[in-house]
Amino acid sequence: MDFSAFSSQFLVGLSRAMILFVVCAGLSFVLGVLRVPNIAHGSLYMIGAFATFTVTKLIAGSVGFWIALIVAPLVVALVSLVAERALFCHLYQREHLMLLLFTFAISLILGDLVKIVWGAEYRSVSPPALLKGTISIFGASLPRYNLFLLIVGPLVAVALWLFTNKTKIGKISRAAAVDREMVGVLGINVSWVFAIAFVIGCYLAGVGGALVAPTASIIIGMDHSLIIEAFLIVTIGGLGNMWGALVGSLIFGVTQSLGVLIWPQFAIVFPYIAVVIVLLLRPQGLLKAVW
Amino acid sequence: MKRIVKMRSLILIAAFLATLLILLPFDASAQKPIKVGVIDTYAGPPAVFANDALNGFKLALNEINKKGVLGRKIEFTTRDDKWKVDLGLSVAKELVMREEVDVIVGTINSSVTMAISDYVKGEKVPYIVWISKSEHITGSKGHRYVFSTGENTAMAGKAGGSALAKKPYVKYWIGGDDYEYGHAIADAIWRNLKAMKPNVELIGQSWWKTGEPDLVPYFTSVMGAKPDAFIVCGGGATMTNSLKACKTTGIHKKIPVFMHTATDHAVLKPLGLDAPEGVMGTMDYHFYYPETPANKAFVKAFQDAYGAPPGFPGFHGYITAHFIAEAYKKAGAVDKEKFINALEGLMIDSPAGKLEMRACDHQTVLPMYVGVTKMVPHYNHLISSDIVTLTGQDVMPSCEEIMKARGK
Repeated sequence: MDFSAFSSQFLVGLSRAMILFVVCAGLSFVLGVLRVPNIAHGSLYMIGAFATFTVTKLIAGSVGFWIALIVAPLVVALVSLVAERALFCHLYQREHLMLLLFTFAISLILGDLVKIVWGAEYRSVSPPALLKGTISIFGASLPRYNLFLLIVGPLVAVALWLFTNKTKIGKISRAAAVDREMVGVLGINVSWVFAIAFVIGCYLAGVGGALVAPTASIIIGMDHSLIIEAFLIVTIGGLGNMWGALVGSLIFGVTQSLGVLIWPQFAIVFPYIAVVIVLLLRPQGLLKAVW
Repeated sequence: MKRIVKMRSLILIAAFLATLLILLPFDASAQKPIKVGVIDTYAGPPAVFANDALNGFKLALNEINKKGVLGRKIEFTTRDDKWKVDLGLSVAKELVMREEVDVIVGTINSSVTMAISDYVKGEKVPYIVWISKSEHITGSKGHRYVFSTGENTAMAGKAGGSALAKKPYVKYWIGGDDYEYGHAIADAIWRNLKAMKPNVELIGQSWWKTGEPDLVPYFTSVMGAKPDAFIVCGGGATMTNSLKACKTTGIHKKIPVFMHTATDHAVLKPLGLDAPEGVMGTMDYHFYYPETPANKAFVKAFQDAYGAPPGFPGFHGYITAHFIAEAYKKAGAVDKEKFINALEGLMIDSPAGKLEMRACDHQTVLPMYVGVTKMVPHYNHLISSDIVTLTGQDVMPSCEEIMKARGK
């Protein structure tokens, strides 16, 4: 195995991990603050990807993608706000199984809505001109778009960290994750805190969908494949912990990519073996869970 | 009183007779229609192909039903198997037992096809497969009640193998979807290539789960292994997805890539002008080649009806309808056994010229076109170029080989 092949595989795995991180950070955030295991998170990611396709079709040229990167997550945020205010907010007091089943139902409905709105055909988004082609790193070629993902991922992590630690609403969200009754007692409208936290989490799903659009085919069913991976990552990282989501994503993305290099016929098994090992050694997750 | 009763009875009898007259069909030719049950995957990425096939089928039926067949119309009803074997089997059972269809057509998932084929054998209902490509359908697992109007992996394998045997490549990497079709096409291409050029070497294989959305890690690892050529064995969503991954990683510029269906319109269209150029592929139908009057007429009718030209499924659906109509006309009766006897060895006119339903294995004798993807000025999608035509006779296994495969 030569070094250039290894490094190229490693970097591709890292860049995949960045998309997973963006999506899982949102899922983890919602799980931490609202205690809602949002299965519809995958569907929102899918809507983000399809919305990106529509925007790039409406606005031709490379600028279309950059605008889509802003607009598509906002569309997803709007959808999630409507869902939260109309449906979810009435269910926070219910038991977890009820919430899980409810979000599952929403994911099925959203999945079919996507099929009605966009149809069952393949959609494809091309990367903007700046990010097309490959670049040579350590002697191996890496698609430029994957390099872009390696930059965006940490930026999202930093932005999320700044939000939760330096802004008032972020600090309140963290507090609500730990003790919602106390936050309510202090006179803060917990319901709106939840709404904002939910929308931000879903916005990140939309960002993930927009980022993945140029790398993979945008198809019905991409929600199902993602949500399983996302829940596994969030679990091994530590429930509600953003850095845990980062660690989990790195483990998942890199083992998947390196697995292809080591044993291509059974590459799909590697990340799941890693998950099993982590859960055997630390069932509570690698980093501290919020609850 | 008696008169009123008599009047009432007369009125009642008149009303009864009038109702009977209205309910009885006036048109003597309005007999029970010929019923076709269509099973396909109308959910998810394969739906693109299923809809294309159904459109071709409907287009042909519109023409056929103008005159009718044996004084009847051909009607169809569709069922969605959702790419699942158990669902496909249960809808097949429903079509046979409840709808009492005369013929079943369809399916894109080879695993579903094999299950339904097994079922119709017992029920003695003819089944015409129009997209699934596993060679076992009319090959080793073929029987009296199953037919195919699509190309299969044996044919594509021979075409691909003979095309690659002419190239100087020695070290190959094979990658594909980990399911029936993926392995079938890989085996078919490799055994033909190895037979024609014994010094070729398989230096590695990658199998990903069918429909895997992100193929970039697999393709970059193949680039690292540096084979002389890369054979992709993808079905369903992977057909277009792998071309996208080629463009993203640029692998096709460094390592020649071959994929059966890479040159198909339905596969290339979603990527538009962003599809990779220079990828080798094989296909049994192109809407732009050959430019015969029959093909042009078919393409125009399809385009007028559905807004886009047909891919290979549209072509297969179209010829399936014509095979059914002509077979019934030849049989002279709506009888399943007579239909099968008539269909065996039947020749029909099609957009690709005269086509034969080979009697020994129930496989339509189709040509294979080997080509390379290329951008051309007058289309906003890529097409196949430098096309080499192989006739059905060139690529199909002989009847002896088929019977041997079936263990006879």
